This record gives sequence, C-alpha cells and structure tokens, in this order.
Amino acid sequence: MALLNIRNLSVSFDTRNGAFKAVDGIDLAVERDDVLAIVGESGSGKSVAMLAVMGLLPWTATVTADRMEFDGLDLLTISDEQRRKIVRRDVAMIFQEPMTSLNPCFTVGFQIGETLKTHFGMDKQAQKKRSIELLEQVGITDPEKRLSAYPHQLSGGMSQRVMIAMALSSEPKLLIADEPTTALDVTIQAQILDLLLRLRKENGMGLVLITHDMGVVAETAQRVVVQYAGQQVEMQDTRGLFRDPHHPYTAALLAALPERATGRVLPSIPGVVPGQFDRLKGCMFAPRCAFATGHCHTVKPNRAPSEQGRALCHTPLVHGQPVILEGSR
Amino acid sequence: MSVVLEARDLTRDYKVRRGMFAPEATVHALAGVSFDLEAGKTLAVVGESGSGKSTLARLLTMIETPTAGTLRINGIDLVHATKAERKTLRSEVQIVFQNPYGSLNPRQTIGAALEEPLIVNTKLTKTERATAVAAMMARVGLRPEFRDRYPHMFSGGQRQRIAIARALMLRPKILVLDEPVSALDVSIRAQVLNLLAELQEEFGLAYLFISHDLSVVRHIADRVMVIYLGHAVETATREQLFASPQHPYTKALLSATPVADPDAKKERIVLQGELPSPFDPPSGCPFHPRCPQAFDRCKAEAPPIALKHGRDVACWAVE
Repeated sequence: MALLNIRNLSVSFDTRNGAFKAVDGIDLAVERDDVLAIVGESGSGKSVAMLAVMGLLPWTATVTADRMEFDGLDLLTISDEQRRKIVRRDVAMIFQEPMTSLNPCFTVGFQIGETLKTHFGMDKQAQKKRSIELLEQVGITDPEKRLSAYPHQLSGGMSQRVMIAMALSSEPKLLIADEPTTALDVTIQAQILDLLLRLRKENGMGLVLITHDMGVVAETAQRVVVQYAGQQVEMQDTRGLFRDPHHPYTAALLAALPERATGRVLPSIPGVVPGQFDRLKGCMFAPRCAFATGHCHTVKPNRAPSEQGRALCHTPLVHGQPVILEGSR
Repeated sequence: MSVVLEARDLTRDYKVRRGMFAPEATVHALAGVSFDLEAGKTLAVVGESGSGKSTLARLLTMIETPTAGTLRINGIDLVHATKAERKTLRSEVQIVFQNPYGSLNPRQTIGAALEEPLIVNTKLTKTERATAVAAMMARVGLRPEFRDRYPHMFSGGQRQRIAIARALMLRPKILVLDEPVSALDVSIRAQVLNLLAELQEEFGLAYLFISHDLSVVRHIADRVMVIYLGHAVETATREQLFASPQHPYTKALLSATPVADPDAKKERIVLQGELPSPFDPPSGCPFHPRCPQAFDRCKAEAPPIALKHGRDVACWAVE
C-alpha cells in the first residue's frame, strides 16, 4: 500500500472576489522509497497541494478529496490533536527560504532540541547528543560548536542543512521538500540534492520534491507530476517524460529550456498562465497550445490512459504528434 | 568588431566596520578584472553569490567608482573624464536588474517610467517623447494601452519587458543585465531571452550578462568570464569553455549544473565547503581550500592570468 495516497484533491480559497480554485482534482501516490517530483510554474498549485497534506493551510482554504490517506490514516477526518501527534512526526517538510524558516531569536541547538522534546520527550542531555548526531548526518562540520550558533551566523547552504536536520529529527516516513535549493548557488545545490538522496536511502523515506527546475528533476526524481494552473496535466516516470512528453505543455516546457535549444531563437510558449479571473471553460492550456482546436477551447479534456502519461488533453502527443483518443469525443 | 568598453585590472575595495570598536576591515569585492566588451556581442559573467558579479555591474554603470584600474567607455577614460563627459557616458551604459518587482516605481505609470530618462537627459518635446515611448513599447512587445497602467498590473515577464524598454530609451551602446531572467518561469524566460537576442541584433548592443545559470549562459553568450571571490579565474569563448573547461572551479561549476536529460551520464565533482569569507580570503589562489587539484604552490602563491589552451586561465594546475 502506498504511503501517501491522494485521489481527486481540490483546494479552493475564499477571496473577496469569490472562490479561487488553486488545486483542481489532483491524484498522487507516493511509495516508501519513491522520489516524486512535482513540477510547475509559479501559481500552478504545487505547494498548496502539499500544504493541504500537512494541514498547514489557512482557514480560508477549503480542502476536498475523494481520498487522502497517509500510512493508513484518513487525513480528511483526523482530529487536530492526532494530526499534530502523528502526521507532523511522520511527515516533515522543508521550505525554499532556509533563512526565513529558522527562528532568528534562538540557537540552532535549541530549535532542534525543541522538536526532539515534542516528539520523543527527550531530556536535555539526550537532546544534545541526538542534535549532534543529526548535524553530523547532514554534513555540518564541527557540530558541537554549531549548536550554539544563531541562524544569522550561518550561510544559506548551512541553514538548509540545519532545516533538513530538524526535519529528520522526528524520523519521518515522508519528506516533502518545497524548492529546497532554489535560493542556493549551484555548487551548494549539488551538495544539498546529494544529501537529500543519500538520506532518503539511509532512512528509507519517501521524498516529494517540489521544483520548477527541469534539470533538478532529471537528476533526482524517479517519477514526475507536471502541474499547470492547479491541474495535474501529466504524470510519467522521469525517463519517459524527458524522452516522449505527452501533454503539449510538458513538451513546450522542455523545448523552451536553453540547453535543449538548437538555434538562437528559443521556442517559447506565447502568453501567460491564466489568472484567478480568467479560468477557462475548456482546457486551461488551450490559449497557449500549438495543437489546440476549437474543441479544446470549449470542452474540458479527460485524462488519457497511463500509456499517454495520464495527460489531461484531448489529443495527447506521441513522439511529438497529436493523436485523437478513442472515446474522447 | 569595435570595442565599446575596456576594463583593465578593475578593483573595488569596501571598507567595513565589523562591530562598534572593531578596526576597519577591507573587503576586496573585485580584485583586478580585465575584459573588453564589443558591439553586438555578449560577455557573460558567471559566479556564485559573493563572487563580485554585482560589484562589477555597479562599476560599469558608474554607480560606484573603481578603487584601482582603468575603465574606458567609448575610448574615454572614466577616472579622468570631466563631469560633462561622465554625464553623456552615463546614458551609454544602462542596466536591467534581476527583480522586476522591485526595480519599477509602483506609483509611476509605465508611460511615465519610460519617459523619465528622456526628460532628464534630452531636450525632446512632449510629443516627441510620446512618440519615442510608443515606438519602444511596440518594439518590446507591450500593447499601447499599457501606457497608463501601473507596474502591479503586470506579470513578471511583462515587467521585465518594461525594464528592458526603459533601459533602451536613451539608445545606449552597452546594456548590463544583472540576472535578468532568474526570477522568471521557464516559459516566460524563453520569451525574454528571445527578445534580448532580437534587440541586440537590431541595435548592435554590447551585453554584459551576469548570471549563475550556466544553461542560459550557454545559450546567449559569445564569451564567458568565470569569477570566484573577485578574481577572474577563466575567460574563454563559449565553445571553448563548455567543450573543455580548464580551471577546476569552472569544471566543478559545469558538473554541478543539473542537466535536463535523465540519460546524460556525467561525473559529478561535488565541491567541499562553501565560498570563504571575503574578510578573510585564503592565501595564494583564492580557490585552493575547495580545489580538488590543489598542491603546495597554490597555498603560497596566487596564480597569474596566463594564456593556456587558447584562453585566459589563472591556475597553477593547468599546463
């Protein structure tokens, strides 16, 4: 059974101008030894979906799903107390800005110790011992000295290592990393990604990596989910996705990468992501799609079978050519 | 091609006090960097944060003056230039910043933002200015009705177009692009990169393209300069640099950049440690504490920039 199992998850926010659907019907299954990447541009709802799993959304958010289970627990009906006790121990999350995720008023040692006390009721002595072990595990040199350091005394890469150490302190079964390396330099990014992959193997946890960087996806993930405007437009294993993308959006996204370009002019995607007020009747990607027909603008597409990457498209691509699915009309 | 900007041994130090009673410390943000910019060509400057990339941009745009070294723009030496000469030179070099959300005045309409450089620097009449603004907006792909809108009404990509249009209003010869696409999404990034390439061809602009993203650099640059802790460690043509990087830092940087191809087999050189503090730079070669090829000489002596394998490299280990 999958560790995290989500069917038809939707999240909408009450805003002054009416409801805004940030996540629209996504399915996810993460196994214990999986590395799953969720890719999408800003505003595609990739973070919101994971925050919904953690129960970290503000009260203006309405979460609905057919099924949302973690390790056999139903996250939809769970009480707040249970959520704090079980889910927040077994699922850990790290964020994009390591500098702002740590509390500037307390030392690193205090902040790691706090999680150990909450989850395991450790005393001061045990907290210190375990903290040193954790910092060692994430590759921080001189961990004993670092325990008394304040966040402002650490560099970006070092802060992210501390965040990872804190996330690991509860021995989670699932680690959600939301753009963990976006704010870091490439040489530090390589260190952090290697660290995350190594720790996943050592601790046997599932890893969900939220990112916008196709290079990071190619080098780390086993499976990829592509999101666009709150919808899940494609899901494939990494190799397949880069070799033969089935949704026109995925194909266009890959073609727009400078390293894949052949000429001086990059094949760009015209237009912008639809905003809150211009959600469309038909396919969300139709106005920017090179393969769109009149049908696409008026009728919502169905999901293609898994051979076509479960693409949310009327005419998913096979080797760059659109094919018409049987029974889609 | 004609050289429009010549930098020789450009150096910039900052004096900083690190505490109320601590003595003043000197940070060498840029330690002797030399290069030429040619009309119609792009020089990319690559480095991690703290390497001195943005200091270089500030020197070129005359926001700050170099501590030592010479900077010639259009053949005029900046150090000895008169006030009037400096003023004209300022309009020759323009800059586009990384964050289009922070570089536009939220209380100024797009039309006013584009018009302002003309009011300050030229004697054009109101109608002439309006024509120039309309022409530039059309050129960068902004619709005429955007004129009276405010920056918050635009997406990141459109704001970056506005920033580029503003930089080009005075028809500069040199454009300094400080991470112009790193805040943008992939699909928008391609649009802006294409626009920059078109504009360069049309106006014969020289670009100094500052970036940490090697895949973008590989696409846009003619020459690449890699800097580390204020030192230019390798300067080469794009083909040379990407085909056969020589400096160990360049090699590490290339191998650390993720490639969007799961089948690509590559050797990862993972650098140990982080960029050393600029207050306390290492002796000898600035890269030696993290360098996998370092030997005794690297700790003692800083390597000079020398022509090796057809490009400028500063490394003892490169034969």
